[in-house]
Amino acid sequence: MTTTVIQSTPSSLTTLAPDNWKLAIIGGLGVSILACLALPATISFWIVALMVAIVAAAFVVNAYRRHYYGGLLAAPAIAVLFVMNIFPLLWSLGLSFFAYQSNQQTIRFVGLANYSKLLTDDLKAPELWANLTNTAMFTVLTVSVQMLTGFLLAVLFAKQFPLRRYLLILVLTPMMLSVVAVGVFFSYYYDPTFGIISQVIKAWTGEQFILFSSKTGAVAGIVFADAWMWSPFVMLLVLAGLVSVPTYLYEAAAIDRVGSWRRFWTITFPYIRGLLMLALLFRTIEAFKMADLIILLTKGGNDTMTISYHVIRIANEQNKTSEGAALSYLLLFVVIVLTNLYLYIANRRSQGN
Amino acid sequence: MKYKTRLKSFAAALSFASLLTIGGAIKASAEDVVLHMAVPDWPPTRIMKAMFDKEYKPESGNKVTLDVDFIPWPDFYTRVNASLTSGEKKYNMAVSDSQWLGAFVEGGYFRKINDLIDADPALKTAMDGMHPKILNAYSTYPNSTPNYYGFPQFPDILVSYARKDIFCNDEEQKNFKAKYNKKLPCTGEEMDSIDWDLFGNIGEFFMRKKGDMLAGQPADDDFYGVAFQVGKGYDFSSTSVHSFVWQAGGDIWDETKAPDGHAEGQVNSAVAVKALDHMLSFIKYMPPVAKTGTMDIFKSDELFRAGKVALNVDWVGLGEASLDPKTSKVADKLIFGKAPGTMGADGKINRTSQIGGQPFVLTTWNTDVINKEAVGFVKWWLSKDVQMEYASKGGQSAIKEVYSDPKYVSLRPWNRAWASQLDDQKDMWHVPQFFDLLTQQQDQYDLAITGKQDAKTTLDNVAKYQEKLLKDAGLIK
Repeated sequence: MTTTVIQSTPSSLTTLAPDNWKLAIIGGLGVSILACLALPATISFWIVALMVAIVAAAFVVNAYRRHYYGGLLAAPAIAVLFVMNIFPLLWSLGLSFFAYQSNQQTIRFVGLANYSKLLTDDLKAPELWANLTNTAMFTVLTVSVQMLTGFLLAVLFAKQFPLRRYLLILVLTPMMLSVVAVGVFFSYYYDPTFGIISQVIKAWTGEQFILFSSKTGAVAGIVFADAWMWSPFVMLLVLAGLVSVPTYLYEAAAIDRVGSWRRFWTITFPYIRGLLMLALLFRTIEAFKMADLIILLTKGGNDTMTISYHVIRIANEQNKTSEGAALSYLLLFVVIVLTNLYLYIANRRSQGN
Repeated sequence: MKYKTRLKSFAAALSFASLLTIGGAIKASAEDVVLHMAVPDWPPTRIMKAMFDKEYKPESGNKVTLDVDFIPWPDFYTRVNASLTSGEKKYNMAVSDSQWLGAFVEGGYFRKINDLIDADPALKTAMDGMHPKILNAYSTYPNSTPNYYGFPQFPDILVSYARKDIFCNDEEQKNFKAKYNKKLPCTGEEMDSIDWDLFGNIGEFFMRKKGDMLAGQPADDDFYGVAFQVGKGYDFSSTSVHSFVWQAGGDIWDETKAPDGHAEGQVNSAVAVKALDHMLSFIKYMPPVAKTGTMDIFKSDELFRAGKVALNVDWVGLGEASLDPKTSKVADKLIFGKAPGTMGADGKINRTSQIGGQPFVLTTWNTDVINKEAVGFVKWWLSKDVQMEYASKGGQSAIKEVYSDPKYVSLRPWNRAWASQLDDQKDMWHVPQFFDLLTQQQDQYDLAITGKQDAKTTLDNVAKYQEKLLKDAGLIK
């Protein structure tokens, strides 16, 4: 391919060319603002969308003429990310500063009132705080149970034994099931009249066992169901680390007669630490968002309401969209702080070693 | 040159777009009309759809199809709410729980139907023939004003489901008489006389352990006296609490008295606290799942069908499954009576009860053609013969001419108890804040039902919340 064609002079701002993205942005912005001011929302929305498309097209043509193929290849992914993720995120951030309910046609700017209401209102703030502490409790309990179980399972499956492959598939099954199926399954599992736990305990004590009659029982039931489902995920990650440890290190250790505990700390652990941290991060974020199992098992009863379920209720069921958005951003803030704290600790640890 | 090609392609795009819109418009005015409808998935709507497909011939000569989304009950509100508020304008008609009217009317989704009723004498006759309590509960917003939004689809009422083999057993009859000096009811008419005292006696009397004698043979599993809804989901405890409060002479916050009627003082009145305590006192005679706060209408029905409960109070809408031997162990041993009530000082039982059931509504974005076909369908649906046939297949009708027909009582075993309770029905709020009010009090009642909080604190919390919410909304001065 010859390179002579593309040596055109860089187009100035005013030339009308398909690759003049600067002009496209200025023109697009101008038209969009005019359209928003002059036309009804239903029409101006499409005009703005058209302008965005034109600007995007200008970028694409420009990139193509400059042979910037890497950017072109990544463009669809970035476009999807923007449309499906970044745009809604910014939109909901905007909404959180308005008084808006999705089933009412009015909207009014209220600044930070939604946030301050959530944090200071004498009816809403205690509820928010109770739900946050519940969420923290669930996060700590489910994640620690999952990490421990997953780790022990991985240690087990790192060894060779008969039927290992089939057992492994069996152990991984819960992770592949739909949460709804798991929820329904466990709600029968725990049911005092129909459930197996109650039946077994009744054979001993003669009394039906009502697991969900207390908060402790309800929390235990939910944590167990969640751990049953997600421990295999931790196991899978840790197992990947365990099998990646070169066997010659173990052989050398055996020659030096190193004890099994020391062998674990100095050889195995450094290899799986990164993956353990990854599992911890994933599971913590997921646990923080837990709502599905709770909706299915207790419907938030017995003081098991979590913050995510609370958001779903406010935003989707009670249609208090902007209040829900504000709450989501408070939640996002907490998650970002926690994640960064975690990454900071993880990084410092790895640099220290 | 470049400019020209650009213009050309722009023009081409424009003409293509206009072609599409015109095409769409033509399609809408053609002979084929599709009515998109959202309904809960259960027998009353399944029967309606089957009857429509088989029998409905539109008068207009158009080809009308009813495209029905059957949505499971637990998701029904969330799904319909999401569809309406997202603005996708998918449904032309929807079955709506009566309490939703305010929220969706204010949102501009449900169409006022007064003009359609006035323009059509046949429809007007049908609506005038409705039982007034049902019409107020299902059709009006603001509650009990002549502003109509819904056509009654399925009028649901609580009835008692009881086990004939157990209640009519001679041994049990004798023991009950000896213990309480009362006759253990055995026929439907005797069931009608159950007040909450007798209900409590029945509950206590039929608590049996595995191996205890039950109706002449050892019970194969633990057996329980009574059941009714006391669950955390949707409105599954509010329904019971409201009935108890109304029967005791108390009241929930009454929107028809706005803006002077307060929540505080009314919702947590001494009478209401006593009524809630009264309701809570029956939980010990229920299957233990009640103590977990998940005893909803489906759970109590399931337990009853599995033969674990002597007496269950539930909607007639769930009745079909208990009649079917495939889904019910007790299909051949059923008696139905009116739902229990509170015995008044005058010796009459007060059965004021929270109404169930649903109207169906039209949405505001329907074209004239769609509205015309929808009204045609509604007219056909509310005509006497069709309502009679619907009732014979397991539906119910709120039209006086239909339910007072002597044949009606024999169509379903619970119909006798059903029609006679119509006068006692009452609905909760229709205001847009309905779901907010409901979820908060469901949370609070759950704390009382699971034994975390006493009745007084519970109702105080509910009253405080409602007073503030309704004041902020301008519904209380």
